[in-house]
Amino acid sequence: MQRFEFLGRFARNRGALVGAGLILVVALMAILAPVFFPTDPLRIVGLPELWPGEDSEFPLGTDSLGRDILAMIVHGARATLLIGLFASAVATIIGVGVGAIAGYFGGWVDEIAMRAAELFQTIPNLIFVLTIVVILGSTLSNIVIAIGIVSWTPIARMTRAEFLALRDREFVQACRSMGMSDFRIILTEILPNALPPVIVLSSLVVAGAILFESAVSFLGLGDPNVASWGRLVGDGRQLIRSSWYICAIPGIAIMITVLCLNLVGDGLNDALNPKLRDR
Amino acid sequence: MSLLSLKDVRVQFNTSGGIVRAVNGVSLDLAVGETLGLVGESGCGKSTLGKAIMKLVPAAGGQILVEGVDIAPLSGEQLTDMRRKVQMIFQDPYGSLNPRSTVGRSVAQPLVLAGWKPDAIAERVETLLRWVGLPSDARQRYPHEFSGGQRQRIGIARALALSPKLIICDEPVSALDVSVRAQVINLLEDLKGQFGVSYLFISHDLSVVEHIADRVAVMYLGMLFEVGGRDQIWKSPQHPYTRALLAAAPIANPKLARARQRTVLQGELPSPLNPPPGCPFNSRCPMAQERCRAEKPVLRPLGNGAQAACHFV
Amino acid sequence: MKPLPLEVRDLRTTLFTRRGEMKAVDGLSLTVGPGETVAIVGESGCGKSLSALSIMRLLPDPPARIVGGQVKLNGRDIVPLPEETMLGIRGKEIGMIFQDPISSLNPVATVEKQIVEVLMTHTELGRGQARVRAHELLELVGMPDAARRLDAYPHQLSGGMCQRVVIAMAIACSPSVLIADEPTTALDVTVQAQVLALLKKLQADAGMAMIFITHDLGVVAETADRVVVMYAGRKVEEASVDDLFDNPLHPYTVGLIGATPTPGAERAERLADIPGMVPPLNALPQGCAFAPRCKRVMDRCLAERPALTAPGPGRLVACFAAEGS
Repeated sequence: MQRFEFLGRFARNRGALVGAGLILVVALMAILAPVFFPTDPLRIVGLPELWPGEDSEFPLGTDSLGRDILAMIVHGARATLLIGLFASAVATIIGVGVGAIAGYFGGWVDEIAMRAAELFQTIPNLIFVLTIVVILGSTLSNIVIAIGIVSWTPIARMTRAEFLALRDREFVQACRSMGMSDFRIILTEILPNALPPVIVLSSLVVAGAILFESAVSFLGLGDPNVASWGRLVGDGRQLIRSSWYICAIPGIAIMITVLCLNLVGDGLNDALNPKLRDR
Repeated sequence: MSLLSLKDVRVQFNTSGGIVRAVNGVSLDLAVGETLGLVGESGCGKSTLGKAIMKLVPAAGGQILVEGVDIAPLSGEQLTDMRRKVQMIFQDPYGSLNPRSTVGRSVAQPLVLAGWKPDAIAERVETLLRWVGLPSDARQRYPHEFSGGQRQRIGIARALALSPKLIICDEPVSALDVSVRAQVINLLEDLKGQFGVSYLFISHDLSVVEHIADRVAVMYLGMLFEVGGRDQIWKSPQHPYTRALLAAAPIANPKLARARQRTVLQGELPSPLNPPPGCPFNSRCPMAQERCRAEKPVLRPLGNGAQAACHFV
Repeated sequence: MKPLPLEVRDLRTTLFTRRGEMKAVDGLSLTVGPGETVAIVGESGCGKSLSALSIMRLLPDPPARIVGGQVKLNGRDIVPLPEETMLGIRGKEIGMIFQDPISSLNPVATVEKQIVEVLMTHTELGRGQARVRAHELLELVGMPDAARRLDAYPHQLSGGMCQRVVIAMAIACSPSVLIADEPTTALDVTVQAQVLALLKKLQADAGMAMIFITHDLGVVAETADRVVVMYAGRKVEEASVDDLFDNPLHPYTVGLIGATPTPGAERAERLADIPGMVPPLNALPQGCAFAPRCKRVMDRCLAERPALTAPGPGRLVACFAAEGS
């Protein structure tokens, strides 16, 4: 019953439905990439700088080295989405952990956690990511961790606020009066109630992470073995005056995906927090 | 031996405005099978006292004894044992159940924590729901599918799960409609008859307390003003505050209401941050004299089993 | 002949929601004479507060709208009046006191400013005169230390004092009708007694007509002259306060009185409860809305909705069983 209600409320938001549909297409593209383009997308397959439509074999054209842009976009979807999801997962785990402990226990624990969060917020995010990547090395996992580390603070704040509101509710007191341990109360009683707004925020962090990764790759600090969309934009930047499509096509892919993720976040918000929208 | 014995219990909170002595030296006994009504206006510390007995807020002084055992140092096994004996029903039927837990899971919680086996739990939950008059399909449903009165029944089932000896009822019917309130009060009385459970019934509603309690304790700004049998309190209240409280309570009978003399108590409750020196009631008391502003009265026996804290009774 | 201060005839208010139309107030009629207090009693969802808001023309639209009936204030039907005209009537001819005194005051304005504003909107008083009058009003409502409280903000006052300010604002222009919606529910017992005594005194001095909305039969017995009992949007019984408590006719009224413990009266072993609960307005039974909970239910009650009948002078009841007996 509850699940159907959830889907019904989500579907009422048209934008979210369109967003979810497009994200699904991108995800399918990522999963089925080896089926459509079984060979390495970074292989040189044709003449360089073929414009889209110029050669029917390469509908989106080729880049400066003569690689198939469509193949790279399809394969790049996989890298880009994975980076977004994993970075968001890292940020969510850190954020929920810190926020839950700070909000539940309060006092000096809260004080320390929130000062730490403020410290992270005062450092410009992109510079922080670049610093970590430069120090630790340009591997995919380092980039994911770096993005996670700069993105957890809003999630921690939101989780903390939810926990603060919920920890004095009577059902939590009832659990305490039964002798339930703090750990169990946090995990099984408060967390399920605190999660809906956090999930919405996490979905937006996925979008943010994709943008971060694009920026990192654009600046040439991405993982050289992965053809993410950001790297495609970066590779094309020397030719932006003549063959601008090499940058524009992956750029549009990033834009659409990020937009769709935001629409889905909106829809999740409507679906998970129905009280805000009823009537 | 009393089931519950409070000896000079104190609870205080540090706020930005200073220390609030929410419970300021309360001594009280509750016998097995007794319903003790704890009455007072908002901010008098009655709910805080209930929470201190559940160890939901720490006591700053005094002793709380359950069957003669001081609960302050208890931990581990012994604390679990104490919790089995004392359970609580909360005021807000909408806040006291986890909205994302099924009713069955909420009611089963104390049993799970006590280490019961799954099939024994299922059977017990079934029985509990029947006792409080809920359909047995209630266990798979969520709290939002139930009305306020039904939710309060779920909270009662949860409190009964481990067959406690004492249930602390913190304003259990204040949020309910009149007709539903009567249902829940009747249920509490039935359960008492059936299982011999004792209640500490915390309420601001005098007419409800008068109906359900055997003995009544009247609280004001953290201290007890009067303790006595139900009839004694209603027929011959001793403390001026008790008298004022009774005079203020509306009576659902126009003839009785017109017949009684109403002396309306003047003034408002003083701030608990800054209570008047001496007797905390002296700022509103019609009988206040010099001594009341200098010396705090203590609760002392009056001879007929009642106790009052006033220099002039 | 002078018209009655308030005469409500067949008032109908409907809630238009996504789940359908709900008749929140379904054909309510009542009159209030000068100096008279009529209590509207019922449980949550019976339509008593929406009745008051309808009479004040303060309904939240959407979802609520008056779909029929008349509200005659001193002989003039205010239902068709435009909002601009209502602005001049509310606060002047008809005043209202709400349940939560703290949230019905502006948190960022002083007590004096709020009272002065009411006075300057509806009267010819200048600012200086209005300030003098504000002080007098605070004295009148028994505000302790009134001169000093004029400069206070609502959060610096207790709930009881805030309610006194709200009352001062409601009576500032001597309205002929005062509607009090659960004015003491949020207050402590001793403060409730003060506010009830104050309202009675003000009403007696000014000869105001008062509608007193409450769920508490104790408060009804203390304040009302006449009582209207509502259930699921309809009036089910009306009687003088003595008749109602001595000889309630509608089974719902009987149930409500039985469910209310009366201190000082003989102790009943069990409270007489009403089984079940108030039905949601979008799922009312076909016949009498109370039939599923009624001890005296008959076949006819399930099929047909009882109309109000007059079993005696000044009494009305909507029940087949009460008619028969």
